[in-house]
Amino acid sequence: MEFGKEDLIKLYVNLVRTRAFDRAAIKWLATGKLLSFYHPAEGGEAPGVGGTTFLRKDDVISPHLRGHGLPHMIGKGVDPKRYMAEHCGKATGFGNGLGGFHSAMDEFGMFGGTGTLGSCFPLSAGWGLAAKKNGTGQVVVCFFGDGTSNRGTWHEAANMAAVWKLPIVWVCENNGVAQYMPIQDAYPLEDLANMASAYGMPSAVVDGQDVVAVAEAVMAAVEMARNGDGPSFIECKTARFSAHGIGNPDKLHGKDRTTEDIAKLRERDPIVLFRTSLLEKGVLTPDDVERIDQEAVAEIDETEKFIDESPFPDDPALLDAALYAE
Amino acid sequence: MRELMYLQAINEAFAEELERDEKVFLMGEGIQTGTFGTTTGLVDRFGPDRIMDTPISETAIAGAAVGASLMGYRPVADMMFSDFMYIAADEILLKAAQWRLLQGGTQQLPCVFVANIGGYRKLGNEHSQCPYSMMLHNPGLKVVIPSTPYDAKGLLKTAIRDNNPVIFLYHKGLLPVMGEVPEEDYTVPFGVADIRREGTDVTVVATSFQLFWAEAAADMLKDEISIEIIDPRTLEPLDIDTIMTSVRKTGRVVIVDEDTERCGFAGELATQIMERGFYDLDAPIKRVCAKNYPIPGGIMEKFVLPQPEWVVQAIKDVMVD
Ligand SMILES: Cc1ncc(C[n+]2csc(CCOP(=O)(O)OP(=O)(O)O)c2C)c(N)n1
Ligand SMILES: [Mg+2]
Repeated sequence: MEFGKEDLIKLYVNLVRTRAFDRAAIKWLATGKLLSFYHPAEGGEAPGVGGTTFLRKDDVISPHLRGHGLPHMIGKGVDPKRYMAEHCGKATGFGNGLGGFHSAMDEFGMFGGTGTLGSCFPLSAGWGLAAKKNGTGQVVVCFFGDGTSNRGTWHEAANMAAVWKLPIVWVCENNGVAQYMPIQDAYPLEDLANMASAYGMPSAVVDGQDVVAVAEAVMAAVEMARNGDGPSFIECKTARFSAHGIGNPDKLHGKDRTTEDIAKLRERDPIVLFRTSLLEKGVLTPDDVERIDQEAVAEIDETEKFIDESPFPDDPALLDAALYAE
Repeated sequence: MRELMYLQAINEAFAEELERDEKVFLMGEGIQTGTFGTTTGLVDRFGPDRIMDTPISETAIAGAAVGASLMGYRPVADMMFSDFMYIAADEILLKAAQWRLLQGGTQQLPCVFVANIGGYRKLGNEHSQCPYSMMLHNPGLKVVIPSTPYDAKGLLKTAIRDNNPVIFLYHKGLLPVMGEVPEEDYTVPFGVADIRREGTDVTVVATSFQLFWAEAAADMLKDEISIEIIDPRTLEPLDIDTIMTSVRKTGRVVIVDEDTERCGFAGELATQIMERGFYDLDAPIKRVCAKNYPIPGGIMEKFVLPQPEWVVQAIKDVMVD
């Protein structure tokens, strides 16, 4: 896919919005507005944003857990307001205040996130099967972490997808670590993309800090899937700039990640890299950059207002209504 | 006596059993760091070959524990959240639980599955459950749910020394709770309930974190109702005798348990009490459990998970003649 100026700007705006929402989530968790826990996306936004921004509205996504899926939702065109409201426990959230950090928005091809990592794989096979039956060229893009790829469910779903030629793109967001576990101790080869070859799936390894590279690779795989050529696998080498979750220690095998380790990762901030390149190419001016930042701030303010004005759910009858369909 | 946090008591039990028996080893996700502090620091003492960080592979973690136990090791599989044990249901419920009988009782499977249980953190269905009814439903597993630092340490040591698969479930809400733990070596036997408070009007059997609600209710009602509180400590084996002795004295029973009500431990216990002591009862038994819904995320969990006032109400209800 060729990306024009508008496309590049869209990618940039989505990255900036993602970062702004991520920061807001961290702040709101600290003040008690955001409930439960939060796992920031910072440093790993490009795979989600790059992999979703050019999808069709009816394409299906399975968001990865970081930022509880904000990069993917924002790229997919979902208004993050109602996700944030849900995460804050409000009745105006996607799940009427029953979902917590879980999320679904069917109209945007987002049928839900899970708390048990790796359940995304078989579910994606199901979405792929339905998409194939629909026969309208819908594609499923399943995002997951390096650690999540260690689940056995990956193999069952990958095999099924390959045998049935399901229209699925598996996008691995390899940030080198799963909570406290470095990936080199959890997978024996350098590239997780090797997992695809056992099932005869084409694969590619891309720089996951380069949002355009991600978008190009994923969209090429999406076109293949749309044309009936079956599943493929994209591995994005990305980063996690802070601890796994807010309040967690930032350790690998019980030893602190050093400030030098983190500084090195931060040198390749996907937003800074892209901004520099867009300014150099003249796609954006410094004024544009300023305006985009301000618009993101305004969107956060508006979201906060929406959340503050939204009621908490308070009727247990909601549970009955939600348990079984008519 | 010295006081420790519940999570430290668990940590200390691991350290002592690792020290005592070289066949003991731990495996699980991030255990060298320790997501809940229960295994933190052990790697420094016992090394990465005995404190093994694993890939995110619950099926293989649980299955490997079963396999290694059949060859004479004493593995502890740390499953992190008990909700994740569903992922290894075959390995835990069919393999660990049922293997020995199917080989005619010729083998031993000395493995322990450790995980946290419990809600009240607004985390939703996949990080909040107390799924021990499914474990109790599969004979062959022992099920341990300590409520104090003392019991956590003593029961975990017994679990590791037991020659059968044991499920050891610690409650998230209890992790920072302090309590007396002696310096010297001790164990707490399975199948011995703890009478936490003596009373004559009502028997309240409560498990794990729910003991807090039970004790709060007993404090609140202390001028009107004399409440006996019993912590079974292990659900299998279950000390039904201690419970029945209490029931014969009080004639009234409330069971407080955080697992989902339907087909849960509370229903099982109520039936066992009724079968043994129907004519000793002065009122129908009341259960206070999680309501029969998935545990929602966010604040709606308060309509599903047992609340302190539900316990108070249940006690008042059984007092009505
Ligand atoms: C089945 C299951 N096992 C373990 C966990 C706990 N857990 C949550 S996030 C996480 C690490 C995920 O690593 P990765 O897939 O690499 O994603 P990252 O956070 O690095 O982006 C773990 C172990 C879980 N939620 N579900
Ligand atoms: Mg990772």
